[in-house]
Amino acid sequence: MRMATTITTMTDAALDGPDAPADAQRTLLDLLTWTSPGWPIGAFAFSGGLEWACEAGYLPDADHALEWIETLLAHGPGWNDAVLFVHAHRAAAARDDAAMAAVAELAQACATSAERRLETTAQGAAFRRIARSTFGAHALAPLDAVGDAELGYPVVFACLSARRGVPIELALSAFVHGAVANLVSAAQRLVPLGQTEAQRILHALRPGLARLVARAFALPDGDPLDQIGGATLVADLGTMAHETQYTRLFRT
Amino acid sequence: MLAPTPIAAIRSAGNLSLGFARAGEVTRLTAGYQSGCLRARLPRVDPGERVELVVINTGGGLTGGDVIDQTVRWGQGAVATVTTQAAEKVYRAIDAPALVRTTIAVGPGADAEWLPQETILFDGARLDRTLAVDVVGGARFLAVETLLFGRTARGEAMARGALVDRWRIRRDGRLIHADSLCLEGCPQAMLALPAVGGGAAAAATILLVAPDAAAGLSPLRAVLADAASRSAASSWNGLLVARFVAPDGETLRRALLPALACLRGASRLPRVWSC
Repeated sequence: MRMATTITTMTDAALDGPDAPADAQRTLLDLLTWTSPGWPIGAFAFSGGLEWACEAGYLPDADHALEWIETLLAHGPGWNDAVLFVHAHRAAAARDDAAMAAVAELAQACATSAERRLETTAQGAAFRRIARSTFGAHALAPLDAVGDAELGYPVVFACLSARRGVPIELALSAFVHGAVANLVSAAQRLVPLGQTEAQRILHALRPGLARLVARAFALPDGDPLDQIGGATLVADLGTMAHETQYTRLFRT
Repeated sequence: MLAPTPIAAIRSAGNLSLGFARAGEVTRLTAGYQSGCLRARLPRVDPGERVELVVINTGGGLTGGDVIDQTVRWGQGAVATVTTQAAEKVYRAIDAPALVRTTIAVGPGADAEWLPQETILFDGARLDRTLAVDVVGGARFLAVETLLFGRTARGEAMARGALVDRWRIRRDGRLIHADSLCLEGCPQAMLALPAVGGGAAAAATILLVAPDAAAGLSPLRAVLADAASRSAASSWNGLLVARFVAPDGETLRRALLPALACLRGASRLPRVWSC
């Protein structure tokens, strides 16, 4: 009983603003919780286009799966998500409502196919629903004006992180790791890969993850619209082709 | 005595600002201006056919430091297609990129098409391009952009150079589509990555903004099923987007033509496309 009271008090303090005290343990537990499969955003249903890539013959083995996911991080939607994350975290921390509205609008505009849009908004809306029940109705107040159908997953994750006082590099590392782990898990079922092989890939993706986080963290303020960009033409096209794929285990 | 100007310092600039207005059943070009290397011509079309504006770069291509700034507005109910006289060649740049900014405004009930011919990026080319479009809800806007990485017809690859190609589409002031294609370092090596190009040297995007955009998806997919190049289409939020990648410009064009025909109904493609 006393335990529950303590937790409530900490939560309320944290939601008072970005300057609320955040200790290392609370930060760690927050991030473990939000990226755990037990935090039900439905990530397991999304393959980020890997199901199409497999079907099209691009992922015959572990090495090709590794290269594909690495490319998504370095030159693909992984970068756009990181740009959105950094700007949403900064906007929430600075209580800049105009900047938050702009980054939320960009999040829905840069989802370049119906399934990309579904993937980011379905997880974004689920994340918000759980965050509100867990941390209180006002946990994501800066995003209250954004409807479920337009709420980008990186934006909502970044907003809660900032309001809980989780530093941007740690929050972004956890977010990207969660997304990458989900892709590897999809690859495990699709390629297929053994459990140990999947962990080997996840480990091999760490340098790429670290480069992405460092690059995004170093982004200057300014319009995120000028900072997005990618080159994964085939992967982007694949998320469209997946819509008409005959056999589908995943929603994307 | 004046020192001779170094070749690299001779840059070209082009400005164009034009508008279309509807009067009764007829769409006419309204006052505007053109300067530098840009010219616009309005070929005669048969009665009942779409007005077709052809933009000409008299500089014969772009190189580092060139600046193109073009604006086209479609007034209420205006129906017109804008294209380019020829493929745009982007030559090797020494340092700065060529800058191209295209601004398009589509008014209420207008039917606007932006159908330039291919952009050919020579080995070493640097291009920084922005297509910024404002569409009023209810209007129709169709665009295509085609990129060739190297002179593919000669087997040339784009081993060096850089490209930033930004699409910014707003409807009733709200950003609905933001996509930036960025290639740098060794574009050829990037394009070799399976998730990027899988060895492709040509790519294109078709975008349609219209209240009934979603209705175009099924017929377009039927056309793409037979396409010569890898392609796919998707529709969401009043948008229809199709993407293409191909080993060369010829293959890409063979896939693009039926796709465009599918989205344009009875309208024939601009005459210059078949020259």
